[in-house]
Formats: sequence, structure tokens, C-alpha cells
Amino acid sequence: MKEMDQVGMQEQVSVRVLEIKGLGLHFGGLQVLTNVNLELKDGEILAVIGPNGAGKTSLLNCINGFYRPQRGSIIFRGKPIHRLKPNKIAELGIARTFQNIELYTGLDVLDNLMAARHIHMKRGALAGAFFFGPARREEIRHRQVVEEIIDFLELEPVRKKVVGMLPYGVRKRVELGRALAMDPSLLLLDEPMAGMNLEEKEDMARFILDVSELKSMPMLIVEHDMEVIMDIAHRAVVLDFGNKIAEGPPREIVRNPRVIQAYLGEEEESTVG
Amino acid sequence: MAEAHQDQLDTLPKFLRERGRTLGERHVAMRVKDRGIWKCYTWKDYLEKVRHLTLGFVKLGLQPGEKVLILGENKPEWFWAELAAQAAGGVAVGVFTDCVPKEVLYYAQNSEATIVVAHDQEQVDKVMEIKTQVPRLRKIIYWDPKGLWNYKDPDLLSMDRVLDMGKAHEAQQPGLFDQLVDRGCGEDVAVICYTSGTTGLPKGAMLSQRWLVDGIREWAGVDGWDRPGMEYLSFIPPAWATEQGLGIAGGLVAGLRLNFPEEPETVQENIREIGPEILFYGARLWESVNSMVQARILDSTALRRWLYHRCLSVGLKVADRKIGKKGVGLFWGALWWLAYQACFRALRDRLGLSRAKVVYSAGGALSPEIIRYFLALGIEIKLFYGSTEMGVVSIPRTGEIRPETSGRPMPWAEVRISEDGEILVKSRYMYSGYYKNPEATAAKLKEGYYCSGDFGYLDEEGHLIVIDRMEDLKPLSRGRKFSPQYTEVRLRFSPFIRDVLVVGGQERDYVGALVNIDLENVGRFAESNHIAYTTFTDLSQKPQVIELIREEIRKVNRTLPEHARVMRFVNLHKEFDADEAELTRTRKIRRSFVEERYRDLIEALYSGQRELAVEATVTYRDGRQGVIRTLISVNEVI
Repeated sequence: MKEMDQVGMQEQVSVRVLEIKGLGLHFGGLQVLTNVNLELKDGEILAVIGPNGAGKTSLLNCINGFYRPQRGSIIFRGKPIHRLKPNKIAELGIARTFQNIELYTGLDVLDNLMAARHIHMKRGALAGAFFFGPARREEIRHRQVVEEIIDFLELEPVRKKVVGMLPYGVRKRVELGRALAMDPSLLLLDEPMAGMNLEEKEDMARFILDVSELKSMPMLIVEHDMEVIMDIAHRAVVLDFGNKIAEGPPREIVRNPRVIQAYLGEEEESTVG
Repeated sequence: MAEAHQDQLDTLPKFLRERGRTLGERHVAMRVKDRGIWKCYTWKDYLEKVRHLTLGFVKLGLQPGEKVLILGENKPEWFWAELAAQAAGGVAVGVFTDCVPKEVLYYAQNSEATIVVAHDQEQVDKVMEIKTQVPRLRKIIYWDPKGLWNYKDPDLLSMDRVLDMGKAHEAQQPGLFDQLVDRGCGEDVAVICYTSGTTGLPKGAMLSQRWLVDGIREWAGVDGWDRPGMEYLSFIPPAWATEQGLGIAGGLVAGLRLNFPEEPETVQENIREIGPEILFYGARLWESVNSMVQARILDSTALRRWLYHRCLSVGLKVADRKIGKKGVGLFWGALWWLAYQACFRALRDRLGLSRAKVVYSAGGALSPEIIRYFLALGIEIKLFYGSTEMGVVSIPRTGEIRPETSGRPMPWAEVRISEDGEILVKSRYMYSGYYKNPEATAAKLKEGYYCSGDFGYLDEEGHLIVIDRMEDLKPLSRGRKFSPQYTEVRLRFSPFIRDVLVVGGQERDYVGALVNIDLENVGRFAESNHIAYTTFTDLSQKPQVIELIREEIRKVNRTLPEHARVMRFVNLHKEFDADEAELTRTRKIRRSFVEERYRDLIEALYSGQRELAVEATVTYRDGRQGVIRTLISVNEVI
């Protein structure tokens, strides 16, 4: 019930979560992003699509502070973040997943998720070492949060399994779990469906929609699979060679001639295809 | 009427009320693993939940005799819903969770359900899809809200809300629950279990309160699980009569402590945490536990392997002495104790069987070798015989395990064998007939006996041996019959045989077999015997491999009646494959399809040919097709 009320409230206000203005990034002579503008509203799922090398992952890397853009600004909930370090940005509530899964492969699922709670842990190492009173209570509280996520993503059967031994699709889900464990207010997903089979894709799409529904979490998704985008994204932005070439609802985007050209090359080919 | 039944514990709700009163908060009735923690419900909690849910159902308009359809995994909520339905004077109807919407529709229509209790979004979606086609269906109640946040249907409500409604109703009418419970009596239909008939649509078998209460009380007494507080892990579907008996009635009547696994996938893990004292595994599950152990041992260190095999040979020796009714003797007893300390104890702990005392399985498909294996570890698997309609007919008593038999008939059951070998049963605890189908009920009765449709016999000690379904028996020439399944199960126990199809026929004199070698184990055999091979096909036709399989068949043949022995066989050049529709997704052979597909080979088994050239198309996972050409040798078993 409470969640529902929140959804209602946020729909009315429709806050801008993320505002990117005139973003430019180059590595030496290589122009990666050119004057990219985009906006993300609360509760919205925004897809960033484009051919290989279009600058999609670079855009995510700029948002979470891995890259320092030379031009433009990134405003997160009214606060400029393009000069901040990645750990500060994470503490502000931006969580992400990676295209090539970056988990602690030697730890089990539970520990991976608990590690993500680190930014919320207040007790020092010493208190943690003795593990009584407040430190113990804190651990229990964080474990509860993590268990909710395990339940949410149906990870119970692998809770105590070492991540390195898990199948690819499950690891992707664990990574989403880790991002959620940070209790973020913005989620960046870098190709969450890459390398998955149809069933795993459907599961992942359902989880993403559930997160969006339950927490009305704004999300920025980089994804190749157009069918997935059509199913889950509210809006899509298309990048090509670092330029934003189109923006709009996914169903319109796929009919946009510039987009077709960027994806398929020549116009004649696309009409044939 | 009400007065007469008041003090008698003749229904499950009365039992619950009694247990709630006497055991209250002091004893745990059920545990469920949730969010990684075992959560406990005492008898007082159990009673309270059922009381509120009952009154909630009443508030939603549930009338006596109306049906409540329950659709979910094993969880406390399932049990509450059933007890609440019964307490309110209704009838519970269980549905398997893997049913598709069409099947759910059939059950809902056939049982005229008015309320559906569904587990989660997955199950609710099925019910929503068919809702409009079930005119009497009024409310859908779910207990796991995940994913259902934005469902707006006015007929859909959470179990928490129904519990609240019941609580409020109780405040207005404090004595109502007791009045409702008092109204129940032993002859009431408690639950309808749908049985998947081999022919036609499933039929709803009605089970009475008396079946559940008295039947289970007697059963528990015979098998020694009437000591309250024994741990039980509930994971077989409650829509099935066995779980109605063991879980639902066993929990209330015998006082078993019910433990519910976190997810169906975590059962193995949860079993180890609980260490149940009484449990039921289906035949397939025992087989998979056994092969898991064998596989793990193969991967283990040489020293451990050696230890395991030494201990196991002691265990099997002791098992054989027990089966042969020779006493175990002091010497073997002592050796077994050593083997137990050195190996079996740790092994049983790993399998979650360290505390297992009463262990059941059912159905004819469990290989005697599996029973012997677990007996070696000190676990007596009681392969009982029964069905939804007949109830429990026979169980091997403790200390009387014979791997081939289903034990002696129970004190309440009488078994007779008809002229054509069908098992006929008369029992005090039978079903009360099929729901809305008196013709089908009558068709199953012959001179007061229930016709089981199973083929079997009683041996000289009065143990019941069940061979197969009557309709699955296959003919041989001169009017003889044999059971392919019976032979196949026994052959499949060989680690070298992965699958096997046993064939015969009206005009054929003997039984033949198409064998699928087990690539992994036969490959290992080839390796250790320095047999070089290239492909599965090549390996299967090596003379040494053929000899290996021949020896395995010979072993099984010795346990079969003469006419049912496998005389000729071929090793197939390819594995049976579900992608080619040779197997079902649960790895059962599609008999007629496979027989048609390998018709030439089967004919070669009977034509006296020594060899046959085969050309087979293979469909790969991506849909491409390939052709295999090879010579297959047709072998005799002498």
C-alpha cells in the first residue's frame, strides 16, 4: 500500500532525476561523445541504444565517474556530479551493473550482496571485529535488506554458492542484486541481457519491471536487444558515433530512418530488409 | 447432532483446536524457511491463523459444501487454507502448481469452486485468465504479493486482508468458529484429490474426514510415527493424497512437526538443515540421490573411494542378511557399526538422512537395487502400495524389507488377486467415490472389491508384489504377458545402461531390448581397459562393451520369470533424445514413437540377423539435421 502511494506522489511531481547537458568526451583525438543532452524523470526507464562504438558505455562511465567529461554537465537530483569521484557518486545513490559482470568471483552470493551494503555501514572495523551490540545489530539489519533482495530476485537456491561457479544468467542477476543492495535512487544497467538465452532474458525483463514498479526506480539501460527495449523502456535515446541522433518512445524510434541507417548502413538495404 | 460429535476428535479442525488448546505456545507446529531463517509457528499460531481465515472465508460468503481451490507450493498458508475451508464446512481441492490455465479451468469448473487460494503472481495469472469461465468463482486470494502490487481486480485480495476480515468478524461473533468446527463430522468430505487417469479426464476422488483422521492414526501406529514432534519435511504436492495423509493429517493427528522448504529448488539443502525423521521420496528422487552419491564418489580421492567401497560391501552384506532373514549376527553387526562410523554416518548427514527413521516411497518404479543400497546404509525404504482411491493398502513392516515387495497388507485392508492377475482391494479407509461421477465409481467396484488396475501377486509369505499397470503389460506369443517397465527399471540400475527399451509382441517368442549405453561410465570402463574409441556410436559397438552390457542383462535376467527374460539386444548407435521427441522432458521414453522409429532394428532382433546397417537422421539443437551411417551388431544373451 505504502509503495503505491509513493508511486502516485512521484507521478504528480515528476522530478528530473538526471540532467545531462552538452556532454563532450574525447580521448586524445578520438571524439567519443559530442554534445549529448538527455533527461531522466523519476520512475522512468530510459534506454540508450546504438551500434557498437556509439559511446553508450562511455556515457554510463561518465555518469558514475569513471570518465571525466571535458565538456558539459551532469546534474543528479539538482547536484552537479561530473567532477566527483566514483565512490562519492555511489554514495549519492547511483548504482550500476557492468557489461562484463564485475563481481567478487571467489565469494558467495550473500557476501557479494553484503559487500554492496558497505556504503551504508557505520560501525568501524574494530567494532565489527568484536561483533557485539551495535555492530551485531547493524549486521542483522543489513542482512535483512539483503535477504529481501534475495527473495525479490529469487536467488535463494544460490545464496551460499560461490559466484564463480554460477551460470552466466544467474551472475547477471546477482549483479543486479548487488546494485539494488546499495539502495540506489538511480540504476544504470549496462547490457543486462547480453549473452542470455530467451528464458533468462524474459526473467531479467520481469525483474527490471518489478524493480521499476515496486520502487518506482528510475533506470538508464544500455541494451542491444530491440525487442527487450520495446517491452520495457518508456523512452529511448539513440547514439551514433557519440552523437544523439534520435529520442522518443521505442516504437517510434525503430521506424526512424536515421536510426535504421545507423544500425543497418545504407538506406536501400534497410528498405529491402 | 452437533452435541454428539462435540467431544469426539473426528475431524481435522477439531484436532487442530484440541492441539491448539493443549499444546498452545509451548510446541512448534510448523516451520518455514523464509528470508534465510526458519520461522516458527506454534500450535496456538496455527490455530489462530486457521480461525481467522475460516471466519474470513465465512465473511466472503463461503457456504457449507462449497469448494475452495488451492493452488500453490508447500507452505503453511496452503495448510491453513485447507483447514479453514474444512472448518467453515467447505471442501478443499488441491491443484498442482505446474498445471496450465486450461487444466486449472477444468478443476475449477468440475469442482464448482467458489474461492481460489493461489500462491503468487504466477498462479494468480492462471486463475485470472480463466476467471470469467467459472461462473461460481467469487474471490481469488493470494499469499505472496510479489509482482501483484498493481493488480486492480476487485475480486483479488491478499490473505492478510482475509485474515484481518476474519479477526474483525471474530470480534463481532466470538463463538462462531467453535460452532462451525462442532458442526463437522467424520463422514464429511474433507478434500478432493484429482487423479490423472490414464484414460479420459482427471477424476476428483473425495476423501472423508474419517479417511484422514482414523486412517492416519492407524497408519502412524503401525509404523511408529505416532510420537508427537517428529520432524517432517513437507515437499510433495499437497494436491496429492500422500501429502494429505502424511503432511496435513499427519501433522494434526500424529503431531508431526512440519517443515516447509524455502523453494522447491532448495529442498536438498533444507533437508540437511532439518534432518527429518520421517520422509517420503518418489522413486525418481531416490534414484537421483543414489546416482549423485555414485558420481561424487567417482570424483573423490582414491583413499576415500577405497574406504567407501570397503564400507559399502560390508553394508550390502548386512543388507542381504537382513533381506534373507538370516540374523545379522554379532560379527557383521560389529563390522557394520565400524562402517557406519567410518563412512555411512557422514554420508547420511550429507544427504540429510542422518535422523531418518521412517522412510517411504511408492510406485512400482523403484529398483530393488536402490532399496538394497539404502538398506546397506541402514535406511529402510518402505515401498508402500496404495492409491488415492484405495488409500494405503500394504507397507513393508520395519525389519521385513524385501526389495521386490510392497510388504504385507495393512490390518485394515484385504487383498485378493483376480483370475487375470489384477489386484483387488477391500479396505476400511477407501475414498468416498468420485465427485459427481457415480458411474466411474461403480465401474471400479466388483463384488465389493476395488479394482486397482494393477497386475501383481501375493508371495508365499503374504507379501504383495506389484508388477505394472494391467494396461501396460505387453503380450508375447502363446498368450503370455510381461511388463517392459519392470525389466527396464531393473536394467537402468546398471551404471552402464542409461536408457533401455524392452520390446515384445503377440507373434514374438521372446523379449528383446534396445540399449542406450551410458557414455560417461562406459567411457570410463573403456579407458581403464585400454579400449580406444572415437564416438558414441563406435564405443557402443566395441565387442568388449557388448560383452559388458550382455553381462548386465544376464544379471537382471536371473531375477525375471523365464519367459520375460531378455534374449537378444542391440546397443543403439545414438542416445535417446528429448529434442527428437524420443523422450519426454522428464526423460521418460515415448514408447510407441521409439518403437516405430527403430522398427528395422527391432525386427532384426527377431529375424536372426547378426548385423544391420543403419542410417539415422539426427536433429541438432539449432535445428540442423545430420545423418549417421553405421553397422549395428545384434547380440544374443545366452
